Amino acid sequence: MKRNRLVATTVASTITLALALTACGSGDSGSDGASGDAAKTGDIRVWLVGTDTPADAREYLKTTFEKENPGSTLTIEEQSWTGLVDKLTTSLASSDSPDVVEVGNTQAAAFTSAGFFTDLTDKYEALGGDDLLPGFVEAGTYDEKFYAAPYYSGARAVFYSQQIVGDGFVAPETLDDYVAQGKALTTDTRSGIYWPGQDWYNGLPYIWENGGFIAEKKGDKWEAGFSSEGGIKGLEQIQDVMLTASKAPKDGQETDQQIPFCEGNIGFLSAPTWVQWSIKAEETAEAPGCATTYGSDLHAFALPGKEAGTAAQVMAGGSNIAVATKSQNQELALSALEIMLSDGYQEIMATNGLIPAKVSQAKFLPDDEITQAGAAAAAAAKLTPASPKWADVEAKRYLQDAFVQLAQGGDVQAIATKLDEQIESTLNS
Amino acid sequence: MSSSTLESSPAVELKDTLKPPKKRSSKLPWLLLAPSLLVLAIMVGYPLVNLFIMSFQKYERAQLMGVPAEWVGFQNYTDTLTDPVFWTVLARSFAFMVVCVFLTMAIGILLALLMMRLNKFFRLLVSIGLLLAWAMPALAAVIVWGWIFDTQYGVVNNVLTKITGDNWMGHSWLINPLMFYIVAALIIVWQSVPFVAFTMYAGLTQVPGEVLEAASLDGATPAQRFRLIMVPYVRSIIVVLIILSIIWDLRVFTQIFVLQGIGGIAEKTNTIGVYIYQMGMAQGHYGTASAIAVILVFIMMGISYYYVRQTVKEEEL
Amino acid sequence: MSTLNPTVAGTATTAPRSSGSGPRKTREGQRKKVSNVVYSVIAVIVFAASAFPVYWMINSSFLPTNMIRSTDLTFFPGSSFTIDNYKNAIFNQERAPFLPALGNSVLVTFFVLIVSMVLAFLASLAVTRFNFKGRKAFIIAILAVQMIPGEAMMISIFRIIDGWQLLNSIIGLGIVYLSGVLPFTIWTLRGFVAGVPAELEEAAMIDGCSRAKAFWRITFPLLAPGLVATGVFAFIQAWNEFVMALIIMTRPESMTLPLWLRTFQQATQATNWGGLMAGSVLIAIPVVIFFLIVQGRMTGGLVSGAVKG
Repeated sequence: MKRNRLVATTVASTITLALALTACGSGDSGSDGASGDAAKTGDIRVWLVGTDTPADAREYLKTTFEKENPGSTLTIEEQSWTGLVDKLTTSLASSDSPDVVEVGNTQAAAFTSAGFFTDLTDKYEALGGDDLLPGFVEAGTYDEKFYAAPYYSGARAVFYSQQIVGDGFVAPETLDDYVAQGKALTTDTRSGIYWPGQDWYNGLPYIWENGGFIAEKKGDKWEAGFSSEGGIKGLEQIQDVMLTASKAPKDGQETDQQIPFCEGNIGFLSAPTWVQWSIKAEETAEAPGCATTYGSDLHAFALPGKEAGTAAQVMAGGSNIAVATKSQNQELALSALEIMLSDGYQEIMATNGLIPAKVSQAKFLPDDEITQAGAAAAAAAKLTPASPKWADVEAKRYLQDAFVQLAQGGDVQAIATKLDEQIESTLNS
Repeated sequence: MSSSTLESSPAVELKDTLKPPKKRSSKLPWLLLAPSLLVLAIMVGYPLVNLFIMSFQKYERAQLMGVPAEWVGFQNYTDTLTDPVFWTVLARSFAFMVVCVFLTMAIGILLALLMMRLNKFFRLLVSIGLLLAWAMPALAAVIVWGWIFDTQYGVVNNVLTKITGDNWMGHSWLINPLMFYIVAALIIVWQSVPFVAFTMYAGLTQVPGEVLEAASLDGATPAQRFRLIMVPYVRSIIVVLIILSIIWDLRVFTQIFVLQGIGGIAEKTNTIGVYIYQMGMAQGHYGTASAIAVILVFIMMGISYYYVRQTVKEEEL
Repeated sequence: MSTLNPTVAGTATTAPRSSGSGPRKTREGQRKKVSNVVYSVIAVIVFAASAFPVYWMINSSFLPTNMIRSTDLTFFPGSSFTIDNYKNAIFNQERAPFLPALGNSVLVTFFVLIVSMVLAFLASLAVTRFNFKGRKAFIIAILAVQMIPGEAMMISIFRIIDGWQLLNSIIGLGIVYLSGVLPFTIWTLRGFVAGVPAELEEAAMIDGCSRAKAFWRITFPLLAPGLVATGVFAFIQAWNEFVMALIIMTRPESMTLPLWLRTFQQATQATNWGGLMAGSVLIAIPVVIFFLIVQGRMTGGLVSGAVKG
């Protein structure tokens, strides 16, 4: 619900709209499930969060829906990630509930476990079945019932400017190489690896690659793994990077990263792929980038793993989409949800650089270096623990706080032990 | 900034008129009270009863969707009272409140005394400045202060860099919980001083000039005149202001909530109001949040007991 | 308040004392002058300190983005003065629209202002003009109510409004705010009503007015300053509140201004400080105007309410 998760889950930017798209209006093979029930008409509200969903996808959703359901209308209402869970909790429980809602994948469990979403188990096959992103299906499933369908996944890549790294640059093979190269790029003003203190999403690959874990279910208890051997190794490496290779604010958030990048103060920037649009924006734009300087030769690679030739396991941010239990128009809402999971709609998402909810539509991802780097990383993506309490862990900002302390040079063992205690007490409460 | 109200109803006169005349009427007053009572009973009374009931229940998100709540007795209370986080937050809120109330009162009274000594022009100048600070909507005020202390382009970092020669750019003010509270206190004091200053000023102008004159003739120093003559006159105003400031600052929500959105570590900067919100609205533990609220209400009643008793006594006159 | 003029007050206090010795008078006059200068300097500092954030907000709102995000400070827009931030804030269609939000805020504020004044007037008449059983309990209740942390009652209040099908309605939000401001307004207005002598009403009643007419014709007009003073609190509350509004006004078309302002801070985007400052200015303007109009009367209520002790 905070900015941080937002960044991880957001993949598009408004500028994506500038990409010429021809996919609109064609191929809606997946949406025929909605036909035949035109008996009831109504006005439905779809809540999309942030600006992630590209404008042509919105347009496609509205026109397709209104064509398939004559007499009914669909309104998209854009919500903010800030305070989303609070607002969803009350709205979904009210008589004026929205009909279809997008929710962050790590937030989904809080709602699926409490009856806020309509059970879609028998629609699973019709919505795409095994073609749906497995991790996100898991995130939307509670008690063996399927409540929230995958919507899209975000991708992360490591950005760099050729001008900074020099002509002879070769992308690192392993995570350790990456750290070493990052340190070498660091100067008094430049961060070799830019790491604002609160950015815990970026830290997870270090934990996972070193053999650590966030939390695993042992019997009926959750056990957190930051203080495990691998977890400590990962945290030590993170702290090393933060202290020796990063000049970012120790409590900073991962917003506005194009600013230091455009000042030439960043060597490697590990960020969601949409950051490229912020960097490539014109200098005179409302949110200025640096199209003519450091943005002119922007490149990216997937964060490398511990073993040479592998991509690091990264955090899969993204969204799920569900029908509200209290929606007055269940049939129509389902029809809208089906459109959003149709091949045509998901193709638009893919062409805009978002990892589509359907694996089969990934072929429409743009064939540029940055998207491919993001896709390579997404292939090795992992999720946060599948517990309805996980949203509480995020809401309490334990990880942000622990990472800020790491960035300030705190004792790794102590931080890890406390963090594990906090996570365990929340997940097991 | 003169107060026409006060001139038309001086304090001394007021004292006699405040106790209600001995009009005995059983129906009319209730008729007059009815609309207010109705609104308060439904919108405050009922939720309050609800709050009390919920504090004994396991009330989570699922209960919002109609799942019957489980009765858990004093579980929420024992959970809260044995949670070190609660005590930390409570202690922090108190410390923060005490600092804010002290600063607000001290600066407010000093400004009121200052305004007594200024000529028309400068008094108007001070009034306008205070009025601007007071009129700023809290949300906008926090955002503006957030911008002033912004890590990357804030004017504070910029000026500090120019003055000291060190590089302050990129210095984050909100990361350190203590600094976070200093910034928060600055915002709150900045916005609450005007109310105290204006009220005190209006009160001080009620002190009869002859009494002060007589005192200075007797050789009383300005400090003595303030302590021995002015303070007794405005004592009740000071008490009200302190009580109100305590209630407002202990419950402070908007400033902390918005400031946390701008930067800082939430866990280490929660005040009790924000903590209740986090527990209830954000995390869905409505039962626990209710228990905390009930505890807080008792604490507040304790603090203002003296004042409430005082008020009641006067009403009995 | 003319006696507060330092020169007048100064001569008034020093005159009798100095009658005996001439030189002492001059020395004191000089000391007075010096301290006047000191006070004036302090006054200027106080003014600067309290007005600076407001000035900085206005200054930033007129600067182009590249000058806001610059390591060089600009203290006056000068030639780079631009109203783009305002245009953007008001007309940018990608964000929530400004004008409907303004309309909603104005409506809800007026609703709260008017209804709370009427109800508080009636209630304070009851507690000041009559002695009845339950009067004491009512006064304690409105005092105690102000100590309840509102954050804890949000969910119950939300469910009441939802039960009445009043979500996303001005009336629904208005009722919530009304219940929030009513205890404080009754309490403050009480002091003002007490300040109007009951004898005036009685005299009017002797002249043939009914009691209701006496209240309305005599007491109400005399209360104008008190109504203004209490109205300020109702106004501020309704104009600024955003947490209840966030959960009650969920449709984009029913947003109020504070919610609109929050849409500027989208987590994914760089904070548009220029737009944000322009938005803040737009929200602050009506409050500042209101304050300037009613200023001298705002603190009276508390003073007259309090000095009774």
